[in-house]
Parts: sequence; structure tokens; C-alpha cells
Amino acid sequence: MADIEQADTAESQDVRKRLIRPGRISPVYFTIALLVVVGLLFYLGNRNFLSLYNLNTIISFSAILLMVALGQMCAILVGGIDLSVGGLVSFISVVFILLIEPLGYLAYPACLLIGVIIGYINGNVLTRIKIPSFIATLATGGILTSLAYVASSGAGAPRPVNLPPAKYYVVDTIVNGRLLTVSKVLYIGFAVLLIYYVILRFTSTGRNIFYVGSNIKMSWMSGISITKTRNIAFMLSGAGAAITGLLISSVRYGGDPMVGNAYILNSIAAVVVGGTALTGGAGGVINTLFGAIFMSMLDNGMNVVGINQYFQQSILGAMVIVCVTLTFDRTKTPIVK
Amino acid sequence: MSDTSYGANQDTVVAVRQITKVFPGVVALDRVDLAVHKNEVVGLVGENGAGKSVLMKIMIGLEQPDEGTIVLRGEETTLRDPSDAIKNGIGMVFQDGSLLPNLSVKENLFLCHEADFRKVGILSLRAMRDAARELLKRVKLDIDVDLPVTEISPAERQMVEIARLLWLSQQYGKENPLLILDEPTTVLADAERNRLFSILQDIKKQASVILISHRLQEILENSDRIVVLKDGKNVTEIPASKAKLSRIEQLMVGHTFSADRFKEDEQATPGKVEILSVKNLSKAGLFEPLSFTVRQGEIVGLVGLVGSGKEAVCNCIAGLDKADTGDVFLGERKLPSGSPSAAVKAGIGHIPIDRRSEGLALMMSVAENVNLLVLDRLKTAGFLSPAREKKNAQYWISECQIKTPSIGTLCANLSGGNQQKTVISKWLSSRVRLLILDHPTRGVDVGAKDEIYKLIRRLAKEGIGMLIMCDTLEEDIGLANRMLVMKDGRLVKEIESSSQKKPSPQDIIGLIV
Repeated sequence: MADIEQADTAESQDVRKRLIRPGRISPVYFTIALLVVVGLLFYLGNRNFLSLYNLNTIISFSAILLMVALGQMCAILVGGIDLSVGGLVSFISVVFILLIEPLGYLAYPACLLIGVIIGYINGNVLTRIKIPSFIATLATGGILTSLAYVASSGAGAPRPVNLPPAKYYVVDTIVNGRLLTVSKVLYIGFAVLLIYYVILRFTSTGRNIFYVGSNIKMSWMSGISITKTRNIAFMLSGAGAAITGLLISSVRYGGDPMVGNAYILNSIAAVVVGGTALTGGAGGVINTLFGAIFMSMLDNGMNVVGINQYFQQSILGAMVIVCVTLTFDRTKTPIVK
Repeated sequence: MSDTSYGANQDTVVAVRQITKVFPGVVALDRVDLAVHKNEVVGLVGENGAGKSVLMKIMIGLEQPDEGTIVLRGEETTLRDPSDAIKNGIGMVFQDGSLLPNLSVKENLFLCHEADFRKVGILSLRAMRDAARELLKRVKLDIDVDLPVTEISPAERQMVEIARLLWLSQQYGKENPLLILDEPTTVLADAERNRLFSILQDIKKQASVILISHRLQEILENSDRIVVLKDGKNVTEIPASKAKLSRIEQLMVGHTFSADRFKEDEQATPGKVEILSVKNLSKAGLFEPLSFTVRQGEIVGLVGLVGSGKEAVCNCIAGLDKADTGDVFLGERKLPSGSPSAAVKAGIGHIPIDRRSEGLALMMSVAENVNLLVLDRLKTAGFLSPAREKKNAQYWISECQIKTPSIGTLCANLSGGNQQKTVISKWLSSRVRLLILDHPTRGVDVGAKDEIYKLIRRLAKEGIGMLIMCDTLEEDIGLANRMLVMKDGRLVKEIESSSQKKPSPQDIIGLIV
């Protein structure tokens, strides 16, 4: 509104006081409110839900989900989506166990690098071959899942691969156990969270991810490299999924070629439940943090109150729709594709 | 302002009463009244952000009012959505059109109502075709109804939309529907514009019309009554026969315009240094080889019809398009063809014609938009510094007089003029040397236009070279130091336009057409 300040009269100020609603409530507060309400429901179902032991379990699981969700968030922010994270988590989970034998500690950076490279490939399928990320990553995700199967068993049926006990010390040093009474997984989760936060908030590349997701044509005309920005967003996504794969295998002392399947829906759900717009350009790390905690709590709570395991998927799916309804700012998107 | 004018009588088709609509941080409409009578054309004018669009959205059910009532043919009504509105005989022809481009004219006319042409369960195309022809007669349109909409002209598309609205209200049994035309002429050439208005007079016999336009002259010539909105409030309304252009402008802005509309007095004498030189640039099918220069502080107007090649020339200079032959030099430096990032780095700025889709990240803050090009300069130890970002944004917001509640306000919530100023400040902040302004005052209200002209003059004084394409020939002449006339892809003439000796539009129009 142009000169509203100057053209003000006492009368119209009155109208304004009467009618102005408080500014738009940030979606992250909805997520937090949801977290509290659903948490209390589970507590009513089983008092053990809020025990220290259980809370610790929820937080550790959220840390694992958070890694892949942070990556997914980058892909969504830039205006795409990464459906290959499921395949990538499975693939890394298996390959990491296989690589510990020859590489030892170096298996960690090696797997992270593989994740980044796969993200780079995803990015290029989008930016150079110009296939929409929805299809491109669906395809690469399929390839990765099948590679995970093959890596786990060669020609046979896919099966979990176990870490030889002689090598337990590798994962125990890095991931398992506690440091100063807090489990190491949380340190890793926090460190990665911080890195993603700094990248998105305080670097030009991070800002460019928002610009490109917001308005790709304007970004191109303003000299931002669309190819580079999108590639980096997908590399960040690959890195996040790889870290999740590493953590899972470390915690379980073994890899599983099917473990990643759940992470496609869960990572997207964590991102959108946190309030990041599926249209790209709006959202952030803190949103996703609460989204990931919420999704993990839901997962855990349903087991604690004893909901049939096979029925849980239905509740999870329904909850995603409910949460997105509550947190997603739909006033900005009148027509949903 | 008389009391009866807002009041409804037995001839009133639609009346809104004391409508108030508040968006977070902004009172868009403050107890607005509007009545439209039978067979009447109401011209609705106001600056951008005066509340015209919101009021129209409320009248077609796209937005719900916070307070106030809508009275249709004497009955208080709630309009839930546009389909509800059309059932009540209110329809809107949108600025950018709402026809489906790949479907034919007849399919568009009867979209979603094909059932009326069913014969034993199968659509009768012949019945549809006949009905379509009959319908188009009502708007004096004689075209092949089987053509896809992409192949008819913008004016014809608007008439098809009007015909559809007339037909729909007839289907729902509503006499004298209300048609809302939002900036119908923005996309039309002169001849088409005249055609639209001549038909408007016929439509008046069977409907009421609300006409919205930034071209006040059109409003004066084609409406019966003019309603002026300012800052979301009724200012006044006048019978068109008694209205004068200058008076309406004054009412809209709240102050009178000086005769010196384009700030000709402030026109700077350009420097000697050539900032841009274009040598034998060409692009097959769009424009033939041409050469020209822009000096420091010089405003060069590119004039010509749409399709004369002027837009393509600018696109090639800005790197948005690859030229076939020739070179673009910025200072001494030759620019690679077809690279917007190289052009931006060299110091070429581009204010696009469509700021919403090409100029801004609408869902990001004013600060983030202003700082887009200079992120590298706002870093401390390699990381973006929030304090420096804030400082830079605040500096440019005050320099360009962007009216925004805060630096964190989303650009989507600014008015058109302030959005445009945000785009301009983004480029200024990057210390641009040459600025391409593609219709910088398109869709901007009179008051903001004034400020944009001031800004352009100031940039020239600071030595920025400018290549400008304007909405009207008067604006080109008023702003430019020199004009390049283009016709059919060729540069046909160069005309000086010093502040003492401005050419008249009549001198130039002959060269263009």
C-alpha cells in the first residue's frame, strides 16, 4: 500500500487496530504445537513414553532421520525433490559395511564422497539432460536400490550384511557409545545440522538455493548459475542421505539393502511437516529439525502405545496429510498441482 | 461528492457497502462503497495499491470481505467463489486472460457447459458451432470458431471471454450481468483497443461494466461514471462528462502534477565516454545488423512497434539471447554472446517488463531481493554478515524510497511501484554501468511513475548509461537524450531529444508504422 502512513487519519488507524491480525505465524510454531499435543496423547496412552530412556531413543532416531531430511530440504528448497534418498540410504548402508574391511575408518569419508557424487549425478540429470528431478531421482533411486541388493548378495536374494566383530571398534569409536554422558550420534547430528545451517544461511551458494527455488528465471537473468546451484543442492541431498546410511549401519553393526525404503516418505514428511514449502524457496534448517523430531516421535510413540505394526503405515500416511494441512501455508498456493 | 451517488436504487445491479478487508500489516480496503447500475460503465481508478484489485476480487468471490456486505439486485448475498459469482451474473475478464490456449474458440466458450449440446449422449459439434457463432455476434466478432485460441488476437480473446460471461449469466437466468474488465488494453495494440471500446458500447445495452485501466484517457472516454479510490478508501466519484484528466490524476495521487512530467529540466548532458558500443549485432529473423553506442549518463530510447526487434536487441545485449553476428562492448571489454552472468558481472543491469515473474523473488524479503547481486560484498571472513546485509538493504530502501513496513517484508506484499523500485535498487546496489529498462513504468500508478522518473534522472546524473523502452511514445521522448527508431528489424533513424528541443510524437510516429 503506497502512502498509507502519510494518508492516515485517526479514524483509519482505529480500523486498523481493530482488524489487523498478528503477523503471519511462522509454520515452525505449528510444528512445535503439534509435537506437544501428539506427545501428550502418547503419554496418556503409555506413561513410559516420556521416560528418560524413551526420550533418548526418540532423539537418537530423529538425529538419524534429520540427516537425510536436511538433504531432502535442500533439494526441495531449490525447487526440486529427491526421491533417490531411499535407494541411496540402502546402498550406502551396504557399501559402508563392505568397505570397512579394506578401508577401516576411511570408509566414512569414502561413503560420504559416494553420496555427494550420486547427488552430483542426480543434479546433472536434471540440469544438463533436463529431466525433472521427480523422474530423474525416481530412476536413480531405483538403480541404487538394485545396486544395494546386488552388493549385499551378488546373484542371490538380497540379505543383510553383517560387520565382522573384529571390526566393531571402527563404528564404536565414531558413532556408538557416549561422550560426556551424551550419545555420540547426537554430536554428529548437531554438527551436521550446524553445517547445513551455516551453508544455507551464511553462504552465497546457500542463498542462491533460495533464489533459484523462488524464481528461477529471475535468478538466471541476474547471473546466478542455475546449473551450479541446483547441482550443489542435490549434492547436499546426497551427502545427507549418505550420513543417514552410515549412522544406521554403524548403530546396527550391519547393512541392510532395504533399510532405506522408509526414508523416502519420512524425509519428505519431515521437511514439509516442518513447514518448508514444497514449491521451493521458503523454509529452513530449524523447521526441518522439528519436522524430524516429530516424525521420529510418531514412529516411536505408535510402538510404545502398542499400535499394530502393519497398521502404523496408514496412521503415518494420514498424519502426514494432517500435519501438512496444519503447517503448510496454503494461502500462497491457491492451486495445488 | 453527493450522498446519493454511492447509494443504491432500483436500477442498481450490484452494490458493495462498507467493505473492509485487512491483510497482515495492510488495510487494503477501508469501508469502501461502490454501486453499479443497469447499462452503465463505471471507470474505477486509483494508484497501484489503492485497493482496486482487492475490491474486484471480493466482487467475484475470490476474496472474502472482513466487514461489509454485497447486495445483488437488492438482496444481500455472500459470494463464496468465482463460480458462485457467475451464477449471480458477475464475471471478470482478467488482465492476462483465462482461456485455455490449446482449445478452440467454441470449446472455450462452452467450457464445462458442453452438456447443453448433447444429442443422445453425444456432443453435437454442429450445434455448438452454431451457438458459438450466434454468441460471438453479440460482441460483433466474426471469426472461425474452430480456431485454437492461440491463433486469435489478444483483443479477440477478450471478446470471446466477454461473450462467454454474457452467455453464462444468461444460462443462469441473470439479466444485465456485471462484467469486470481489469486493464483490458494493456496487451492490446491501438487499433485493437479502439475495436474493444466500440464493442463495449454495444455490450452496455445488455450489461453493466466496471472498467479498470491505468490509461486514464480511456476511462474518461468510455465510462459513464468514474470512481476514484485512494489508499483503500472512496475518494470521490464524478460523472465522466464532467471529469478532467488532470483533476482525476490529482485526486488519485493527492497532489497536482507539474507540466514537467518527465522531469525534462533535470535531463543531464551525457558524458563523452562511451559505455556501451554495439557493432554489427544481428539475429536472424528478429533484427538485421545494427550498430550504436550509449554514452555515460545518456538515456537512449529504443522506439518501435512490438515486433520491430527492439526487445530482441536488448535481450542480446543482456546476454539473454545469443546474437548471430556482431559484438557488444561494455567499455573496452567484449562480452561473450548469450551469457547473462557475464553481462551482469561486466555491469549490465536489466529491469524486465514483467517484474513479478522475471524481476523478483516474490516470496523472499525486500532485503534478500535488494542484496541479491552483492552478496559477495556483504561478507565478513567469507560468510554473509546479517548486520552488513541489513545495512545495505536499509541504505537502498531509503535511497530509492521503497515504502515497506520492514526490510523483512515479502516482496509479494508490496505494491507494484514499490516492487519496481526494489528491482531498480537491486541493480543500483551492484554498481551497474549500463541499465536496460524494459517498460519501467508498466502497470505502475501515477505517483510511483513520478518517483521512478526522478530515480532515472538521478541515475543519469551519476553517469549510468541507459537503454530504455517505454509504454508510450511521449514517455520515450520525455525521458530520452536520444532515440533510436526501429522498424521491421532495422534501425531506421536516430533522433536527438535534448531537453531544450524535444521532438513531437507526430514527427516520430510516421517512422515507426
